[in-house]
Amino acid sequence: MPEIIVKPSNLKELWKMLPGLPARRRYLAGGTDLVTAGVAGVEHSECWIDIGDLPELGSIKEAAGSLFIGSGVKISEIESSKAAARWCPALVAAIPHFASPSLRNMATLGGNAANASPCADGACSLVAEGASVLLALKGKKRRLPLVDFFLGPKLTALKKDELILGFEIRKRRHAGAYLKLGPRAYFGISKAAVAVTAELSGGAVKRVRVALGSVAPVPLYAARTSAFLADKKLSAETIAEASALVRTEASPITDTRSEAAYRLDMCGVLLERALKSLA
Amino acid sequence: MKEKLSYIGRSLPRKDALIKAVGAAQYADDREFAGLLHAAAVRSPRPRIKILSISDARARRLPGYVTLVTYRDIKGVNKWPVVMQDYPFLPEKEARFAGETVALVVAATARAARKAAALVEIKYRELPFVEDPLKALEKDAVKIFGDDNVISSFVIKKGSVDAALKKAAYTAEGEFSTNYQVHAYLETQGAIALPESDGGMTVHSTTQCPFYVLDAVAAALGIPYHKVKILQTVTGGGFGGKEDVPALVASHAALCAAKTGKPVKLIYGRKEDFQSMSKRHPGWARVAYAADKSGRITACRVNYVLDGGAYSTLSPIVLWRGTVHAAGPYKIANVDIKTYAAATNKVPCGAFRGFGQPQVCFAQESLIDELAEKVGMDPVQFRLKNLLEPGDRTVTGQKLNSSCGLKELVQTVRKRSGWDKKAKPRAAAGDVATGIGFSATYYGVGLGAKGRYLDRAGALVNIYKDSSVGVNVGNTEMGQGALTVLAQIAAETLNAPYESVKVEEVDSSKVPDSGPTVASRTTLMSGNAIIEAAAPLRERIFKTAFSLLSAAGADASKKMVAAGGIFSMGGKSVDFRKVVAECWFRRLKMSEQGWYAAPRTTFRMEDGQGDAYVIYSYSADAAEVEVDLKTGVAKVKKIWAAYDVGRIVNPRLAVGQAQGGILQGMSWALYENLIYKNGIMVNPNFTDYVIATTADKPEYDITFIEKPYAGGPYKAKGMGEVPLIGVAPAVANAIKNACGARVNSVPLLPEKIWKELKKVAAR
Repeated sequence: MPEIIVKPSNLKELWKMLPGLPARRRYLAGGTDLVTAGVAGVEHSECWIDIGDLPELGSIKEAAGSLFIGSGVKISEIESSKAAARWCPALVAAIPHFASPSLRNMATLGGNAANASPCADGACSLVAEGASVLLALKGKKRRLPLVDFFLGPKLTALKKDELILGFEIRKRRHAGAYLKLGPRAYFGISKAAVAVTAELSGGAVKRVRVALGSVAPVPLYAARTSAFLADKKLSAETIAEASALVRTEASPITDTRSEAAYRLDMCGVLLERALKSLA
Repeated sequence: MKEKLSYIGRSLPRKDALIKAVGAAQYADDREFAGLLHAAAVRSPRPRIKILSISDARARRLPGYVTLVTYRDIKGVNKWPVVMQDYPFLPEKEARFAGETVALVVAATARAARKAAALVEIKYRELPFVEDPLKALEKDAVKIFGDDNVISSFVIKKGSVDAALKKAAYTAEGEFSTNYQVHAYLETQGAIALPESDGGMTVHSTTQCPFYVLDAVAAALGIPYHKVKILQTVTGGGFGGKEDVPALVASHAALCAAKTGKPVKLIYGRKEDFQSMSKRHPGWARVAYAADKSGRITACRVNYVLDGGAYSTLSPIVLWRGTVHAAGPYKIANVDIKTYAAATNKVPCGAFRGFGQPQVCFAQESLIDELAEKVGMDPVQFRLKNLLEPGDRTVTGQKLNSSCGLKELVQTVRKRSGWDKKAKPRAAAGDVATGIGFSATYYGVGLGAKGRYLDRAGALVNIYKDSSVGVNVGNTEMGQGALTVLAQIAAETLNAPYESVKVEEVDSSKVPDSGPTVASRTTLMSGNAIIEAAAPLRERIFKTAFSLLSAAGADASKKMVAAGGIFSMGGKSVDFRKVVAECWFRRLKMSEQGWYAAPRTTFRMEDGQGDAYVIYSYSADAAEVEVDLKTGVAKVKKIWAAYDVGRIVNPRLAVGQAQGGILQGMSWALYENLIYKNGIMVNPNFTDYVIATTADKPEYDITFIEKPYAGGPYKAKGMGEVPLIGVAPAVANAIKNACGARVNSVPLLPEKIWKELKKVAAR
């Protein structure tokens, strides 16, 4: 842990205090990744800026065409949000797989994205939701499709001192699923995960978005599989083809958590099960 | 016939439940002292290094920094006295595993100490190292221990295995391996050392074995034992992980305290605890069994290797226990067991619940199923045909006495689990296949022949004037319930109210060296020592009670009955408090020491024949498992288990021990996977070293079949380790039964099952 931790009371105050802070500084939200990294000896900032309680980041807001989830919203708040359940079913389906109840009371969705882990359950499901991310730096705001936000393991498009305001999800009626294969029944980092959203019409799906966790350097949008599934009936054949196709999109590695070949196969198995759950 | 007992066999509340539940218990790190300094370890970054120099030049600039402590500060002998003396308190020229403490720093705060430790510079040259225990035993391996890297080796030889194998109608052979297990105690290692004005040292230590700490601190400081006092703090879990290594941690704290003249606290972080503290040995075994046409086992050959790590610590004894039990609890005429503990440049492994048995039990109980299949018998029927019974001889030639309920256990588990209906392979439901698997084990209680010189225990029972009873023993509470069970034994013997008895955490100055708190020996050893101490007190109390009752006009022709703290006779009664007051008034001696030494064992190291342990406990397990045929994920749905651990002192605590042991065994079997890469531990944390959670917990069905042991306190044996041992093979056998996949290595990861399923599909 650094010697200095500052806590601005609003965004304006944050932008004002930035120039006076040590150069090696990081934002601290729920702390569930950062504190762990500190304990493991891989986080060496001189200063943490606690943005966990910034009012501008703390709410879920429903507008006419979209739902906004502030980056500081705790995962457990999303779990109990009716608006989230209605407009981002894949995200809500991911939450029981997200760490443990106590960590969900601390962790934020913004932190989950900013940490840029390929296995982030929240980030992966948000990619399937087709979310955009809203960023701010000293009053300047910009918006990115979330898929463009992730550049690699622990790498994002965030500029120095830029922070995530929140995520925007277009309001459209759709179904969603999130299936994860972890090391035990719950509370583990995924070996492979699949998030799916689908706009259903009659027996067919119109638009589909498939995202994969832990099988690529980033939470991966499976573009080809998603395109293949568009406007198809979810027959056993289609599902089998999609699950074969998705195996060609992932590029998993072998590490302490699992093996590449197994992970690849699991992308197919999980997608098959996710699609069946929607059909 | 059961005696009438007031406290034994009753689920009395745990003595330490409340303070632990409300967070009032004082663990090592909770203790504060005036002028307290803090130490942190400087660790070797590489698997094997030649130390060229150690410099604290940069650390010295840090506010709060006090001093560096190296081997040069050791006034005693720089050899930690464990079994063999190859582990220095602090290395002089060579450090032998990544994470080994090379030096210590002392500072005003724990934070400053950790920062200072990171600033200490070790200049070193890397030396070639050994990582794989099987390669370590090869001729051309780099030598790091003796001239063959063999820390220890044992044999058991009986009959002729070659001849039996040749004649056999059926044989089964296989190679099996198991990985490390981390104790995952909630409280990491730690100690506080306080220098005394006479040059002595008082040490507060979280430990299973205060007398090992005593040995080590006295040796490191070079001072006599009577100047060293070890006080065990409330210990937040041990499981074997606080057997030997707390002595090292405490010695380091003591060296720092001796150098600075101030109290020093040394508390481990989780990462360094993973990297440097003891583990369950990874094991490798090649096992072969032979059977005749009728399905009688005729021979067993075992080659068993444990990965000892960089120093010998407890490896010889762990290996010995594994050796004795390596063939399983069966009648076998021809046996050839050869075992080795190999040295590698990794964390030294030591004690862990089961102590060298679970690794080889996984191998032999998996293979028993394979042999039964070849013979064409149901695995339970096959076991029943071959299991040990009272009067039978074990593979070491030991004749078993009447306290052996193994067959009854197997029949009980068979019946309760519905084995006969479930054992035939069942059709999968969609992607999910269900199967059931079995195992049977035995466990030598106590230290046995290899540890016989340590197998004794003392007790001090002291009845105060107000009739409260203080009991000091040399074995420890570490979560298993010793304070409670031992209080029940004391209360029963004295006819004191249970509430009036307090058993204390160990103070090494109050009782003689009672050996370690290991090997499921505490109830047996400390229990017997308490009974010995309490017997003369009991006589005085009972005589006094009799005379009080007689004086009160009780009809002395009636028998006096003592129960639940009340003495009654012929219509009159008197309570324990009044009787004790009278004893004190009569100036009777109300404090006694007790001593219990385990009976002799006759085991010979040359051929492995003779009595290995004084008495055995037994277990049988059936596991029902669901396997996802696409993902290879196995989920244990239910475990049926039955144990013969002698008389049960506290049923609720016994069930707790059983559930905990099953879950810990299942966790090792399915999930726990500590990984080394190029001599460096890759996942020293609970993010990537995964243990079972309550969500993984199976349903339990636990039965005790109490075969009384005449030599035990109120006929108890020992049970702490028994429930863990047979779980892994039962689960592996259930996976095989469910889907045909035989996985030969623990943990039984989905990736391994998935690979085996592909082979099954290709057949």
